[in-house]
Amino acid sequence: MPTETRIPLELAEFLESGLAVVVGTRDGDLQPDGAAGWAVEVDEERGRLTLFLHEIAAEALLRNLKSHPEIAVNLDRPTSHRACQVKGIFLASRPALPEERELVERQVEGFRNDLSMIGFPRALTAAWQTWPCMALEIRVTQLFEQTPGPGTGGLLK
Amino acid sequence: MTPATSGSEALAIPLEILTSCFQGIIPSWLYTCSKDGIPNAAILSHVDYVDSRHVALSFQFFNKSKRNVSENPKAAVRILDPDSMKAYKLRLRFVRTETDGPTFESMRLRIEAIASYSGLKGIFKLLGADIYEVLSVSEIEYEPGVAVERREAGRLPFTMRALQEFSDRIHQAPTLDEMLDAILEKLESIFGFSHSMILLTSERPDRLELIASRGYLEGGVGSEVGFGEGIIGMVAEAQRPIRITGMMRQMLYANAVRRQVEAGGSCPEDRRIPLPGLRDPEFQLGIPLMARGELIGVLCIETENRYRFHEEDRAYLEVMGGYLAIAIQNALLRERAEETEEPGTGAPAVRSAAARTESSRKRIQVEYYPADECVLVDGEYLVRGLPAKILRKLLHEHATMGSVEFTNRRLRLDKSLALPEVKDNLESRLILLRRRLEERCPEIRIVPSGRGRFRLELLGEVALEERGS
Repeated sequence: MPTETRIPLELAEFLESGLAVVVGTRDGDLQPDGAAGWAVEVDEERGRLTLFLHEIAAEALLRNLKSHPEIAVNLDRPTSHRACQVKGIFLASRPALPEERELVERQVEGFRNDLSMIGFPRALTAAWQTWPCMALEIRVTQLFEQTPGPGTGGLLK
Repeated sequence: MTPATSGSEALAIPLEILTSCFQGIIPSWLYTCSKDGIPNAAILSHVDYVDSRHVALSFQFFNKSKRNVSENPKAAVRILDPDSMKAYKLRLRFVRTETDGPTFESMRLRIEAIASYSGLKGIFKLLGADIYEVLSVSEIEYEPGVAVERREAGRLPFTMRALQEFSDRIHQAPTLDEMLDAILEKLESIFGFSHSMILLTSERPDRLELIASRGYLEGGVGSEVGFGEGIIGMVAEAQRPIRITGMMRQMLYANAVRRQVEAGGSCPEDRRIPLPGLRDPEFQLGIPLMARGELIGVLCIETENRYRFHEEDRAYLEVMGGYLAIAIQNALLRERAEETEEPGTGAPAVRSAAARTESSRKRIQVEYYPADECVLVDGEYLVRGLPAKILRKLLHEHATMGSVEFTNRRLRLDKSLALPEVKDNLESRLILLRRRLEERCPEIRIVPSGRGRFRLELLGEVALEERGS
């Protein structure tokens, strides 16, 4: 059973800054699947994170996660290509709370800002369905460098 | 979701209608899973269309993804339409990795051109083109995108009719000099490309020099690109068209021409002309100019707009490149054949009255560095190679014999210029020198005065010195 990994403070701040959030799961036939997430929140101990994704996206992923809880979350900033992959174990899910909507929208806004800087105007991302969300609690087991380059895939201590 | 069929049946959403997603404008997301059941999510730069049931994914740094598909071929990829941001999911099965062939080559050239721009050649490279069978295609319901009109304007405007008009107009240009400008002008008026440049091979091996550009603040005549550097150098090396869409945003053109440190007695460092270019090109296209199997140069076009490149456009580009190359080469041959004998061959012409009158206006310091055949004017780099040697010769003869009238034929016979007996490119080198002087030193003029003839006009007092010899 993989142990819990503590996310460094600076990395936690990066993860919560409004990034592209790519979530990977798999089914019993080892068929991978994935979806876009909208936001993450690292807990105070920095060993767990809550992942927010649209309820339609969550529905398909939860079918996998309830029997196969392994999960991968790739977080990437489009303008700099800084990226990190969080590997973890799915613990629980619940509908996101109304008071969490501000957090989700703030991070989505950060992501939109980043995209607008590289030529994708807000009009193009206007149709994103970012709410209602499900909140998935994840225990972090490993962190990997995902910034493109020779160090890609290396373990972040 | 709108599920599509899998297996041997046709896909409900054909890949052919998703061509916008395969332009590399927006990175794609790749989902894989190890044999131990650990999923992986990765971002990758390119998903290329291969055929109606296959796509190719670039294999560069995604080691975990690569390991995963080697042990478990199941994968999924999410692609985005850059016009509407509508998302699709493709369920895939890894088939094989190609390390040669047209799909690999096409991906490799693009990636290596980008690597060269960013100084990462040899690090940022394509290890393989991973070929996947597409089992199904689905729309992603919560990423429906925004409604957009499908605009044909976004397509590259290559049609046979446009190419015909293009060639007709260029054919009318009476000289190579005018033809070069006509090519770039017609690229704008007929095809809408307002930023373009032509680089020709020079007497130095594996290097190209810019001879004409359009749409840039700095003309950049004389700027150099080595084979393999940036999109232009890659086109020259591979002798194939290359187009790059979207990924160029963070890469500065300035990196394309690397500065070389030259020591002692040689042309001082920092003596390179920056290649002109858009700061944030959205689309770049390099077309090799091939005449009778030989590379004579590269045409580079760039835009700030997104163009949707279709596979059939490639044939038009190759036709255009071949036509331009032959037109340029024929113009060179024609000009050479029509060269006139100079009146009183060998006799120095009389210094022109105009030049004499103007000569008291300004003192111009011209320094020639024989070690690397480089000319500086008032301490600023002007030109190197054959154009530098020609300028030195013209100024020297003007200073010692008062010569103002010259012919190409006389230059060809001058052993000090060491022109090759065939394909000496003298005409294009003179055009480069003349244009470079216009940009940087208008007081020294090379004025065409007939087929194969020109006049040296000095609107200042020129002091020629040799350095470090």
